[in-house]
Amino acid sequence: MPASHYAPLSRRNFLKAGAAAGIAVKVSFLAPPAKAQLLEAGPSDGPAWAAPGRPRYRLDAIAKVTGSKTFSRDYRSRDLAGWPETQAHAFLIAATRADRAFTGLDLSRLPPSLQPDRIVRHEDLVADKVAVPHADFFGDWFLVPEGETPRLLGQPVAILIYHDFPRFSAAKRRLRFADDVVQYGAETGTKPPAHYGASRWVRIEGDTADGPDRFSAYEHSPIFAGFSGDEPAWPKPGQDGAFAQGMAAAQTIAAEIDAAGEDALVLRRTYLSQSTDASAMEADNGNVWYDPASGVLHLMMATQSPYDVAEAAASLVATSRFPLKEVDLKVGYTVGYGTKDHHIFPFLCVVAALYGDGRPVRLANDRFEQFQNGLKRHAFRIDNALLVDRATGRFRAMTGRYACDGGGRPNYSVAVSFVGATAAQSIYYLPKSDFQAIAHASRAVEAGSTRGFGTLQTMSATEMMVDEAAALLGLDAIDLRLRNVLRTGQRNSQGAVPAGALRNEEILHKAAAHPLWRERQARKASYEAAHPGQRYGVGFAQVHKDYGTGAEAAVCSLELDSQGALSLRHVAHEMGPGVTTSQAAMVGDILGRVPTRTEFGVVRWPEMPLHTTDQPYTTPQAEEDKRAQDPRWVPRFTSPMSATNSAYYLGHATRTAARFLADHAIWPAARSLWARGGKGGALASYNELTRDSLRLSDGKVLGGGLPALSLAEVAAEAHRLGLPVGVTLHTFNRWQWAEAEFDLPGTTGRTRLPIDALSLRYGAGAPPERKALMSTAGWHFLPRAAVFYPPTQRNNVGTTYYSPMATLAEVAVDTGSGEVSILSHHSILECGRQIVPELVSGQVQGGLAMGIGHALKEVLPLYEDGPGDGTWNWNRYELPRAHDVALWNQTVEILPPLSETDPPKGIAEVVMIAVVPALANAVAHAIGHRFHELPIRPERIREALA
Amino acid sequence: MSAAIETRDLTLRVNGETVGPLPVPVGTSLLDFLHEWLGLTGSRMGCGQGICHACTVMVEEEAGPREMRSCITGAHWFEGRSVRTVEGHAHTAPDGSLVLSPVQTAFIENFAFQCGYCTPGFVTGASVLVERLKRTPVRRDEVERVVTEALDPHICRCTGYVRYHQAVRDLVLATPGLTTA
Repeated sequence: MPASHYAPLSRRNFLKAGAAAGIAVKVSFLAPPAKAQLLEAGPSDGPAWAAPGRPRYRLDAIAKVTGSKTFSRDYRSRDLAGWPETQAHAFLIAATRADRAFTGLDLSRLPPSLQPDRIVRHEDLVADKVAVPHADFFGDWFLVPEGETPRLLGQPVAILIYHDFPRFSAAKRRLRFADDVVQYGAETGTKPPAHYGASRWVRIEGDTADGPDRFSAYEHSPIFAGFSGDEPAWPKPGQDGAFAQGMAAAQTIAAEIDAAGEDALVLRRTYLSQSTDASAMEADNGNVWYDPASGVLHLMMATQSPYDVAEAAASLVATSRFPLKEVDLKVGYTVGYGTKDHHIFPFLCVVAALYGDGRPVRLANDRFEQFQNGLKRHAFRIDNALLVDRATGRFRAMTGRYACDGGGRPNYSVAVSFVGATAAQSIYYLPKSDFQAIAHASRAVEAGSTRGFGTLQTMSATEMMVDEAAALLGLDAIDLRLRNVLRTGQRNSQGAVPAGALRNEEILHKAAAHPLWRERQARKASYEAAHPGQRYGVGFAQVHKDYGTGAEAAVCSLELDSQGALSLRHVAHEMGPGVTTSQAAMVGDILGRVPTRTEFGVVRWPEMPLHTTDQPYTTPQAEEDKRAQDPRWVPRFTSPMSATNSAYYLGHATRTAARFLADHAIWPAARSLWARGGKGGALASYNELTRDSLRLSDGKVLGGGLPALSLAEVAAEAHRLGLPVGVTLHTFNRWQWAEAEFDLPGTTGRTRLPIDALSLRYGAGAPPERKALMSTAGWHFLPRAAVFYPPTQRNNVGTTYYSPMATLAEVAVDTGSGEVSILSHHSILECGRQIVPELVSGQVQGGLAMGIGHALKEVLPLYEDGPGDGTWNWNRYELPRAHDVALWNQTVEILPPLSETDPPKGIAEVVMIAVVPALANAVAHAIGHRFHELPIRPERIREALA
Repeated sequence: MSAAIETRDLTLRVNGETVGPLPVPVGTSLLDFLHEWLGLTGSRMGCGQGICHACTVMVEEEAGPREMRSCITGAHWFEGRSVRTVEGHAHTAPDGSLVLSPVQTAFIENFAFQCGYCTPGFVTGASVLVERLKRTPVRRDEVERVVTEALDPHICRCTGYVRYHQAVRDLVLATPGLTTA
């Protein structure tokens, strides 16, 4: 596979390359002010923990519930150490038309005293050589050039900067909604960028379950195409090369569906999933101080991807006329549901600061602006075809064309299209499948990463279609699912075998046995008899969602001091779901004690002297093999906080560090103590004792019939023996963990671990020669003796990690108003081993509410009447409220893990999806009409019932 | 100050302390005043239109506290009044430890929030409800309905409302005097 074909496939394919040489880049997390620091004392054996691994409340709970400064948005310049006391404020002037040339600004609505202190236009940026970093991702212009037609609705044409808040505020109020500020010339027609990309995922199973597929993305290749007009220009079918072979396979599938006889059901349906705004409560914001005297760019930014913002900001300024010596990025807590993972907004904040005359400049969206320029969920048009054998109810083939509207900047649209397409199989085994992923450009407000990442749209359509297929076949809808469910060991539509046990079948059986499902016909009759004018329905859907990106990297450090106290440092930072709490809880689970000290969002790792090319998706195998021989090279240093990666991937680093200390510090130290008394001591007669016998709980070390030791005395012994009492490690996953061998000191020798870099710190009793090894910032960086990276071919698998969830929804439809009331809902989730059950249930409940909004309420027009016009807010964009979500009538069953050693799975995205098609299916049950377009709003129901 | 901006002095009480007189432009929202003049950013800007209630503060009046949306209410409306923001609900005990309000305690122990951006509004809304119930208790079987009605205007995007409402329901049911038989 040529690298160029892969380039658009990456969720994050542009990093590092642009970072300017010689610029120091620092990323740090906001040091809370003294008061907040006091409140957020963090994990300890004190009031936050009921038991190791069982928090009494979130570690950030007190800061958040008392209104302390926690979000990036809460900070002004005066709150930041070393920043000036006063600061400037800026806002954007945006174009609301994308079919005429922008000809200039008219600020005559502002009296002279309210004229901005600085106006920034595209022409200023050209003069100062300020260009958009990674224009192939973030688009070609920050601000629309004079004489050009905006690429997209809502595209900014100017930044207005005020040196004080009162004038800023007064001017902004005067210009809001004014339609004569941006001047336009003649009509030009719309001028969006070229379409973003197309890929195709074709699979035909082989003769045996274990043998090679006749064709699959994993075995051969995905197929990539450019465009001819609005349609992908797919390669010609043939036998010459993987693309041609794949197209031939697609042709075979299409022919089989076209030729289907009476023995098969062919269901062809078109579905439309709308554009929405994730409506994270904290709107996009940044506060940037460019100090020309020192050449330091200070940033405080709300972002899910701080490393990448810092790198790209460095590139932006370093290539301009503004001198730059250092980028210092600070990040507070934020929330985005994906929409703060890579967006142009942080760089607009940087641009504003370059024209702040040495003042910090704050650019913070209000809600109208957030609708106008915030990342949107992609609208999808979905054309599905399903071929079902009537006799067996088994799916023979499925095809789908998944076309998303990415709006006017490229962003992640290509990735969203193919992540959606590869998820379209939902929970089913498909012997043959052909899924087209198409990312269109348009003048719509830019769409990007949003919780679900394309899969909400595609899986919802599949689940609505399967429900309809069951009705047409005269089968129970769960029975049809059971006949086709993907089972452990079977392959997904890319030809890869999913990780671990697939428990979809178990969930289906539970749903089938639930009273809501079993009694739905009887309940319908009795409810409708008791409620004239209401129609009752129950709908079901089940999905499973991938988590991770196929290039997940993390760094974490865990140390045990000589008194038995633990310190955890981690690259993870808090986005809301509770990562700081859950990572600390994982340590408690394994070591029987939670860390006394924690530090999250750590960016300085001097003990990990690693470097990366950060092209994990595109590096050819031979080149990666060559680079991997350098023990300081890793494919990626760290990942953004996104793609549901905290519990499993970031947690893998934490769990591995905790297990390392258990194996290499606590276990040998405990054995040493148990051997006291001479001649092997109490241990001698129990010499069959193995590591597996060791038990760590409540600060005690015991097992195998030996006396309980306190962790404190074991820690002291580990230090006395000079064992590794501190571990820092780096992890990498490409749908499989990288492993490496290390020559550990002492008698341990060569050891294989699921990591790719390791540093150790030894106890005070270590011999001088071992202490001398700790020469890397006080740590011993152990060059790996061998490394085993998952083959680059695994980039083709799309995903292998899935979490499943099913939802049963019970609704009443008012035939007069068309209102859908959710009477109750019940969900069944499998998430491996729960880390903090309260956080899991909160995630589930929140996801369900968000899904309810998508199914029944939220909708944004894409173009002229849409959010780009600057008039949208939550008054017209209806979000689900408490009374909409069956607050007191919702239940969740979480499957117990198969064993206590099951890992936790990422669930943040899957929990919002199943309820969407479940509600559509419930409405169909209620009124007998199947909607193929979301959301199902009352006016559409009234039309259907008319 | 610019000639285009009319400024008046403002004096009010915030979290028990007198603030002002300060020159504040007419038309400044209380939310902007709290953020930009006082540095109190716990009351949050969500919509700026009075829809989401993330910005609500408690106005303390003789008849009991009431909830006000600070994003759509001018700062000067509060002249001479007393306001309690989320920063003013907890207090420091004589031993220096922080004592949360019962509502705050209920929220953290029930894991009611995730990102926490909407939490200040929920603290305000629930606290106003609790104060109201002290004066006019409701039947125990009405508590869920009363809680839902009181908190329904507050938008939460992370946790789907359930844990917030459960926390307040359980607090109301467990607090003597808030309910009748």
